[in-house]
Amino acid sequence: MAKKEEFKKVFTQILEPFALGLLALFFILPVVTVMNLTPITKQIKKIDVLGVTTQDELVLRLVGGQHEIFSGESLNKIDETEYAYSARIGKRGADSYSKPILEIQNNTEEKKVLSFWGQTLSNTRSKIYLQEKETPYLLQDNTGETYEQKISVLPSEKVIIFLALENLSGVQFSELFDMTITVE
Amino acid sequence: MIAGKAIGIIVPSMIYDLEFFIENDIEGLTSIQILFTDNNVTLFVNSISNLTMFLFLAVPTLYFIIKTSIYQTTLQNPRTLVKITKFNILKWVTKKDVTFLHIFIWTSFLTIASIIVIAHTLQGQTYSWVGVSAGVASLLSIWGTIRTFELETDKIYPKENSYY
Repeated sequence: MAKKEEFKKVFTQILEPFALGLLALFFILPVVTVMNLTPITKQIKKIDVLGVTTQDELVLRLVGGQHEIFSGESLNKIDETEYAYSARIGKRGADSYSKPILEIQNNTEEKKVLSFWGQTLSNTRSKIYLQEKETPYLLQDNTGETYEQKISVLPSEKVIIFLALENLSGVQFSELFDMTITVE
Repeated sequence: MIAGKAIGIIVPSMIYDLEFFIENDIEGLTSIQILFTDNNVTLFVNSISNLTMFLFLAVPTLYFIIKTSIYQTTLQNPRTLVKITKFNILKWVTKKDVTFLHIFIWTSFLTIASIIVIAHTLQGQTYSWVGVSAGVASLLSIWGTIRTFELETDKIYPKENSYY
């Protein structure tokens, strides 16, 4: 009888961690599945029957991904030459922040020039600029004044544009940033 | 939870004839991506699917909590007994097919679903009213579960000294 009790005790001690693990999986698996089922936005490349891309145009894509400060990004094509980009800039401390926002692929045979004009609705004394490689392009200065910037993309070149901002003091609320991109 | 999310994606896509693609890429925890080509469509579908997932959990949970609360109140308050007899729902209420464990498990999943919906709302992937509704209903169900737990423990350790 004592042996049976001993066996039961050891058996329970071995099984208990597995039972707890199974219980945790009971909650974790649905969460992972739901995250898998969350739809995302992505442009599908148009591929012909031979598997060769037939796009011979300028392609703008959102880089996407998660960021502590920049969220809710969207890129909409207004017409053949104009795009609208918007993002929410969250509350932040006095610091510099940046995030890759756009991937521009020039599939044409000629150089393309894109002009960028963006601003926030409220002036939070933030300096907002775009950055391509090491070059900054100022869009809005500390006083809220806006500037139009032009970036050239050579044939077959792919560039990544970063959105960057600098704050000398903390900002305790989030704000919307809108930018118009025009292909010249 | 999973069925709610899947139905919430498939049904609006069929109703509004929305084109979507499925891609297999291992990115962090996810291995399957459901892709829409437009941001506004993604936001709409994700909001509807989150709302459907949430309602699939919230409706039964609130049903269980309300039923158990009425049942427990009936035992303690003759007025409630008279009322439910008047409404002819005595048979429904007294059918003891819901236990505290049922309510606890449903509320746990509802809370997890709410956390996912609120996280999506904060990331700008879901309409804010969906996130707010999820938060409020989740808090209500947690409160209901705690109340049910109190009523259940009252049966074992009644508050009134005269029962001892």
